[in-house]
Amino acid sequence: MSSQKQSISSGALIGMAILGLGLMAGGYYISKEVHIGFLEDLAKQGIPLDLGKTISAIGVFLIVLPLLRLFYFNPLGDAITNRTSELENTFSEAESLRQEMQKMKSDYEQRLNATEARAREEIQAQIREAQNMRQSLMAEASAKADEFLKKAQEEIAMEKERVLVDLRLGVVDMTLQATERILGENVDDAKNRKLIQEFIDTAEVKQ
Amino acid sequence: MDSRVAKRYARALFAAALKENILASVEDDLNGIEDAFGRDPRFRAFLFSPATAAEDKLTLVERVFSDRVTALTMHLLRLLLDKRRETELPLVRLEFIRLRRQHDQIVYVEVASAVPLTEAEKAAIVTKIERGTARRAETEFKIDPSLIGGVRVEYDNFVLDGTVRGSLKRMRERLVYDLLRQT
Repeated sequence: MSSQKQSISSGALIGMAILGLGLMAGGYYISKEVHIGFLEDLAKQGIPLDLGKTISAIGVFLIVLPLLRLFYFNPLGDAITNRTSELENTFSEAESLRQEMQKMKSDYEQRLNATEARAREEIQAQIREAQNMRQSLMAEASAKADEFLKKAQEEIAMEKERVLVDLRLGVVDMTLQATERILGENVDDAKNRKLIQEFIDTAEVKQ
Repeated sequence: MDSRVAKRYARALFAAALKENILASVEDDLNGIEDAFGRDPRFRAFLFSPATAAEDKLTLVERVFSDRVTALTMHLLRLLLDKRRETELPLVRLEFIRLRRQHDQIVYVEVASAVPLTEAEKAAIVTKIERGTARRAETEFKIDPSLIGGVRVEYDNFVLDGTVRGSLKRMRERLVYDLLRQT
């Protein structure tokens, strides 16, 4: 349809150009050869009007118009159309990009929100774990401290008991040493003989 | 020292002495040798020194004992020197004496007292032991002033302690036992 319109336009243009040539030649002829009384009256009244030149100008216009249309208006229209199309495409792409960016922004915000939520949860979990660990460590330390204290108290008690036993044994030894010294001084030969005789009388010999 | 080795030598010596009926002589020899060691520590050191050559030891032993001890004892000395077991000699003597006492049904008794015992006291103690064990007694009497008073008799694995020191010791053990029970 566009080629048909183009061919029609070309035919019309050629017709117009031919018509323009005719009008240009007719006008030139009228301007040179034809004298119209009315126009002469007008010229005498101060209004010069050359009909031939006017017709020639119309003929020139009819010749120039297709040329202008062919070499200027059509390319200009095409260029404007192309430019408009390019702009539309550009705007369409820009819109598409904008929508894509919007979608990406939305995704990013969702991911960011999810990440932040996860981070918050992990932080909370870490805090809970740290608190649990703290409580556990404090309980363990307390138990150990109690154990050390108990052990220390037991050791102190044992040491006290040992010292008491040593003291008592020391008293026993000192007493027996004193007794031994007194006996050593007091056991004379007669008492010794008596002890020996008692041994001989009472000792029980086993086979 | 290895007492098992000494026991083997002592058993062999005892069997040989018993066979030749010279138990007392061999025991006297062994006691004499022990006395010689006690009297002269240099002699003992020379004989027991691993640095001294066996030939030198044998020469000395031959020179000192060959005409003073029985042939069996001399043979034992040569054998011990040859096997480099001379340090076992004191243990061989003790084991020999133990075997001899066992063979003769004799109980060895050690009697310790703070003051010397009278002959009557000694006889009474020996009689009591012999009756109680139904064996003859070989008794050694010792004086130990640290016993303070009384008598202590040791035989086989028994100790009859009638001394003041023994009483004090038992009293201490009882007191310590009571103390430890209280804690």
